[in-house]
Amino acid sequence: MTCDTAYCFAADLGGTKLAAAIADARGSVVAELTEPTDPRGAAYVAEQIAACADKLAKTAGIEVRRAQHVMVGIPGAIDPRTGRVSLIPNIAGLEDFDILGFLRGRFGPDVAIENDVNLAMLGEHALGCASRCRNAAFLSLGTGTGLGLLIDDKLFRGARGSAGEIADLPIGMDPTSQIPSASGTFELEVGSTAIVDRYRRQGGTAAATVRDIFRLLEQGDEVAASVLDTTARWVALAVVTLQSLLDLELIVFGGSIGVRPELYERVRRALPALFSRPITIAPSRLGDRAGLIGAAWAAGQALRQNSEPAQ
Amino acid sequence: MGNPMPSPPITSVTRQLSRRSVFEALLHRSPISRADLAKVTCLSKQTMSEVIDALEQQGLVRPVGRSSGNVGRTAVLYELSPDGGHVLGIDLGARRLTVALADIAGRVVAEADEPTDSRGGAWALDQIARLSDRLARDNHTHPSRIRSIVMATPGVVNPKSGAIEMAPNITGLDHLNVVGLLGEKLGSPVVLENDINLALLGEIWHGCAQNVNNVAFLALGSGVGLGLYINGRLVRGENGAAGEIGYLPIGGDPLQAECRLQGCLEYQVGATGVVRRYREAGGSEVDSERQVFERAQAGDAIAADVVDETARLTALAAATVVATVDPQLLVLGGSVGARPDFADKVARVLLQLSARPVEIRTSTLGRRAGVAGALSVALRRLHDEVFGVAEFAALPLPPPAQRSVSQ
Repeated sequence: MTCDTAYCFAADLGGTKLAAAIADARGSVVAELTEPTDPRGAAYVAEQIAACADKLAKTAGIEVRRAQHVMVGIPGAIDPRTGRVSLIPNIAGLEDFDILGFLRGRFGPDVAIENDVNLAMLGEHALGCASRCRNAAFLSLGTGTGLGLLIDDKLFRGARGSAGEIADLPIGMDPTSQIPSASGTFELEVGSTAIVDRYRRQGGTAAATVRDIFRLLEQGDEVAASVLDTTARWVALAVVTLQSLLDLELIVFGGSIGVRPELYERVRRALPALFSRPITIAPSRLGDRAGLIGAAWAAGQALRQNSEPAQ
Repeated sequence: MGNPMPSPPITSVTRQLSRRSVFEALLHRSPISRADLAKVTCLSKQTMSEVIDALEQQGLVRPVGRSSGNVGRTAVLYELSPDGGHVLGIDLGARRLTVALADIAGRVVAEADEPTDSRGGAWALDQIARLSDRLARDNHTHPSRIRSIVMATPGVVNPKSGAIEMAPNITGLDHLNVVGLLGEKLGSPVVLENDINLALLGEIWHGCAQNVNNVAFLALGSGVGLGLYINGRLVRGENGAAGEIGYLPIGGDPLQAECRLQGCLEYQVGATGVVRRYREAGGSEVDSERQVFERAQAGDAIAADVVDETARLTALAAATVVATVDPQLLVLGGSVGARPDFADKVARVLLQLSARPVEIRTSTLGRRAGVAGALSVALRRLHDEVFGVAEFAALPLPPPAQRSVSQ
């Protein structure tokens, strides 16, 4: 087997969309597609991932069995000891579904799953704006919040695979003064639902999504500006928290909300007043493809490592 | 003598590997006979004899008596010689200075502590040199025998200037080349490391975190700080400032001047913060935060509120650690943090805050954690200097209590 004939399959599974790619052994994408995530839950989503591989193989003109390494990004924590996935609020049934077993049944043994934000961190480290960093984070802000960590040049997953599950960072409304809920405080302040709610509470009109709020901001809507100021301030406090704990070189902003300059520029402006040392933040260079690119890169790396002894 | 079989050339690496494995066996199993050493190291008796003779000549190993109880002849037992070299561990705290002297086998031969010179800066460095000299002299150890020195300090060591930064509780260290000056005074290079990182390594060596690979150590005393040990390594961050959690935006408005200067969290839960909050809440005069804790236990309601609030803020800080780093074990240390009553309160609040409960233990080495960690690093450095092999990890250290000290 040589690198020229072996391929890998990468997917990035999100609550609303599924991105997938076939890549060569260097991790370069050969064919790529995105479709809405099947809303019927885990078993359907798993089938959908496998179907994507078939479609992509057809597009690329290769046989799907030549995809020898598979990496799938999952929006949750993966326990490194048990392989169990948890903390997945937006795909029904995935916590109790053996996704790894299913994928191995379809693709063979060389299948791995990884937290999606970790893969985005890897993508930015391999091919994006964190290529020279040894200590960096990928802060994903969108429907939910997540964090991928690079510590001393390596992905850092935590003892139970839930490092960077920052949804319940105690940043926001005082979390000790109320009954804790299933999702956490930081996400309750800066998740997309929280932003839209805040806009409505402050008397804004006609915004159903965060995208609407960004559009209204462009039109000079003052409530939209104020809502983003508040959101940016909570995010800035999370950035200060990360910097105090880990002393990072760079924090990459990603996710549908995180990449918006209207947000991260506000965060950047807020930081100097909050922290005495400089903090470097930058928008994701790979954008919403960061997770997929990271998955392709990781699968390609596994493929290269596997084929080395044979050469 | 007949013609011996031509033996393969013994490379220097092979020799060093043999010496290293004999040393490791002596470190963990002294006193031990040559025959038993050969057994545990899988070296031939011939090689073993050569290695032991060489180590004995170098003053690293000495005979320590004869085995008894077995049938047949008794055998000479060996142990690491205290003349093999000494190490110094220093813990420069805001309130206490501790110095400990250990031999190459990790036996602590002397330890002393005194209140830190409150004038800080050069006075504190003089004090360190004085106490270290006295300790060495009292134990008839010539300073030249001290081959490795590690000091625990608060704050962050600037690798370029050798100064100690972000250590607001000891004055005057941020403009001095502490590494250079102290090295001159002690006559040997000094390695500086953050005190909480070293306290964490102390707990891993022979405290409550033995054999755990992912540990967060949250220390609360004069100040507040965090040590992170991840996959078997300390996390230092890009500029050595990882774990400076005094600057967490918890407990106050981070835009306030005091918060920016001292750090929000430290301003509230550091020793001066606890005393200030007690006073502001109408409590009577106290000298130290310890008194506030004592009064809380004696039924002073104001003090109890201050303690509860301190525990709540500490739990919030711990929650940021759990969410971000996901440690296997959280150790609470420091003069306040290690108090069992306080740790219980923190654990209770943390349980409300975090969806993923983490195991919490209190420091078992207490005030000695920092100096123990300094000794462990100093010992590893000495072992590495004498028995190091490129690409090999440092030798594992046995806990000091397991070793027999022969006279």
